[in-house]
Amino acid sequence: MIEKILSAIDGLGIDAYSITEVRSQSAEAFFVRRHMDLKRRTTLTDYTVSVYVITEENGNRFVGDSSVPVYPGMEEAELREALRSARHAASFVRNPYYPLFDGGKEKLAASKSAFADRTPEENIKRMADVLFACDNDENAFVNSAEFFAVRKVYHVVNSAGTDVSWETFDLNGEYVIQCLTPADVETHHTFDFSEPDTETFRADIEHALRQTADRARAKQAAPGGRYTVILSGDQVGTLMDYYVSRADAGMIYQHYSDYEVGKDVQEASGPDADGDPLTIILKAAEPYDRQGIPLTDRTLLENGVVKTIHGGARMAYYLGIEPTGVYRWIQVPTGSVPFADMKKQPYLHIVLFSDFQMDVMTGHFGGEIRLAYLYDGGQVKLVTGGSMNGSILDAQKHMVFSTDRYRSAVYDGPFAAAIPDVSVAGISSDT
Amino acid sequence: MKVKPNPYIQAVRPLLKELLAELLKEYPYASVLAADSREKSYRVNRQLSSINGGGRFSARGFVVKVFDGKHWSEHSFNEITKENLADLIQQIRVTASMTGSALPEGVTEHEYAAPEEEETVFTGSTEYLTDPEELGDDVILERMKEVRNRGLAVSGQILDCIVQINWNRTSKLFLSPKKDLEQNILWTTGMAGTVAAKGQQIQTSARSVSALGGMELLEQLGTDVEDAAKTTLELLDSEPMPAGEYDCVCSPEVTGMIVHEAFGHGVEMDMFVKKRALAEQYIGQYVASPLVTMHDGAAAYDQTGTYFFDDEGTMAHDTVVIDKGVLKTGISDYLSARLLGTEPTGNGRRESYRRKAYTRMTNTWFEGGTDSVEDMIASIDYGFLLEQPRSGMEDPKNWGIQCMVSIAREIKDGKLTGKIFSPIVLTGYVPDLLKSISMMSPDPELSGTGFCGKGYKEWVKVSDGGPYMKARIRLG
Repeated sequence: MIEKILSAIDGLGIDAYSITEVRSQSAEAFFVRRHMDLKRRTTLTDYTVSVYVITEENGNRFVGDSSVPVYPGMEEAELREALRSARHAASFVRNPYYPLFDGGKEKLAASKSAFADRTPEENIKRMADVLFACDNDENAFVNSAEFFAVRKVYHVVNSAGTDVSWETFDLNGEYVIQCLTPADVETHHTFDFSEPDTETFRADIEHALRQTADRARAKQAAPGGRYTVILSGDQVGTLMDYYVSRADAGMIYQHYSDYEVGKDVQEASGPDADGDPLTIILKAAEPYDRQGIPLTDRTLLENGVVKTIHGGARMAYYLGIEPTGVYRWIQVPTGSVPFADMKKQPYLHIVLFSDFQMDVMTGHFGGEIRLAYLYDGGQVKLVTGGSMNGSILDAQKHMVFSTDRYRSAVYDGPFAAAIPDVSVAGISSDT
Repeated sequence: MKVKPNPYIQAVRPLLKELLAELLKEYPYASVLAADSREKSYRVNRQLSSINGGGRFSARGFVVKVFDGKHWSEHSFNEITKENLADLIQQIRVTASMTGSALPEGVTEHEYAAPEEEETVFTGSTEYLTDPEELGDDVILERMKEVRNRGLAVSGQILDCIVQINWNRTSKLFLSPKKDLEQNILWTTGMAGTVAAKGQQIQTSARSVSALGGMELLEQLGTDVEDAAKTTLELLDSEPMPAGEYDCVCSPEVTGMIVHEAFGHGVEMDMFVKKRALAEQYIGQYVASPLVTMHDGAAAYDQTGTYFFDDEGTMAHDTVVIDKGVLKTGISDYLSARLLGTEPTGNGRRESYRRKAYTRMTNTWFEGGTDSVEDMIASIDYGFLLEQPRSGMEDPKNWGIQCMVSIAREIKDGKLTGKIFSPIVLTGYVPDLLKSISMMSPDPELSGTGFCGKGYKEWVKVSDGGPYMKARIRLG
């Protein structure tokens, strides 16, 4: 099909092009309690073609681009019309010029994942076995689950010379744990594995079962007020989204961020700072990003100071920096305080939100509390309800990270972050 | 004018009929859904512009659903030719027999009763005034630049003005032993937003428009962008929300988010099957103020959640979910209805042909009442006017609320003071909030610029809304 697309591009007045082919096969299984409700498989091939038109005016070069999906089996006339229409659209877009990235040539970077040794169906069984082996309590149990085992082969070809191909394996999904007594409650959990890490999956499920039983015993919200809030797991990674976004070349080019290499953005060494200096590493989870730019591990922040501005070919060219590609996995080095020590002072450890959010524009983070552990100097209490609303701009000099670690598909770093003086709306704050 | 039939769907129809006929030789029931969804998105801001032919819902492909006498399976694919038909049928066989030894120990496969359906032949298209493709990319982009310039001109403090337009033209064909259904839908959405900064804090505010139709909505964006810019500047001086429970007036968009997130997800009946929805236990009971009548349905309103039949071949409904405060029924996909012994309500929707169908909302809204917004504000000693919803998350099992809102305008002694607070988290227990509704304005307004997820995935286009309403809400 790529040859057919290249042939159709010819003669349309297209100055540059980029073609992305994604071949995927998946198996999917949907469970309600201990019944498989539905089984699915998919066999798909998708193409996206971006076309570029370069113009010049008063010595300045401009580029217009437009992308269009192309489907396997498209007749030649329809394919040519889709590309002609994309070229027509691109001719009205006039952005500053940038060249496409030449990522070189590589036939196929085969995945080294152990998922490659078995079929998608077998991989689902391997992980579903773990889930249902943990499901042996009549009070707290697996309510439902969904598994998606996906193999993808990416192929990126562009007119600058890129012709690379790579393979990925992924097993992701979700499960819901229900606990019947003393209150009938549920918790929702997602997973995403690039390797069949059954031990981590088992530990996560057992943790989820315990948390859900705790939620069933939590009766009321914490008193409203200001707390040292402890966030943990992927919530800590979500908190880091602020820095990753602010160091994005697109945010800087559009003046939404004033980050530059060398800027101390955390101010963690100032006289009023008592938190851990923050280091963030962009991790290469795959050999290339979706533009075919090779990914390597890069330090984004080091002790609160910006080391890398990251982005794709276009924004990098506009800022005059090296294109790094687009990353989806970050690593943060170990913090300074054991998690157990964090809990020696009063705290509110919020373990389940309905949806924890970090607004990368305003710097606000928060959400509704589904389960938290409150320690006010006496017994640890289980609390549920109310909400937390904090600002990373207020918190960043004072955040402390744990020496205990956590790893997921998007975040590898300290398990917990303690953030002092965060506002919590709870039971005694009613007007 | 009506949206024209899709030539690709027309061309592939005979082959799909042949595929279905072959499958029905082996299986008691099979169906085929073909979808061709074309989308175009336009974006301009201060520095850049773009036009792209692919979007979240751009897709062309097929899903075959097979019932083997006891169990259901699905196979999604996006290439069908005369030559690959035999191979395709073999792939579908493999999917249908996938279970075998693949089931974890102690897990069995759900057994369903044989499907029943009535003979239905249908062809329908929605209407529009201005065809985006006839209007042309150049005209659309130029008009968007005019809107952008209006937004930037409001103040030198406006850092950026972003204008976005999306249109989507989706054609679907559903074939089964007794059904032959075809539909063609066009919807368009637009957004004009502005950005301003104060130190490291960046504030944004946007106005959006949506329609079951074409580019006729472009005009409205031009007038809304100046409001968005003024609100962005106000947000620069906003204060953090003092936590507490307050009398609030919700704008139609905030009402819509409460309808959708707080209650709509809780009446999706695939959640009844899983025993994940508290609503199942409250059918026939008061769950809201008698002022509340709630609808959901692809046939309940002309907005972005509108269609003629769902992705399982069930015709669209207008379902009255709550009638004067009493919960009447949930909404349902086909398989959930089979398991529950109820009738499907035309709410079986897929993100695309690639994904499973779930029970999903469509156009979801509260009917209007008889109160004026002025009277609502005048009735409040201390409280807030809530505007600009950002996001929400459902909790069908425990009826907890999480909704994020950008703006709370302070009301003191029955008047707006001009002071605003941001951001705000709405929390609480759904029936408490719905029973506290004490006033509603006459005219519901629906907006369909957002997307709805099932948990954290499976995005579909929906609309939601209602009138202005007064309620008591916990804010933080």
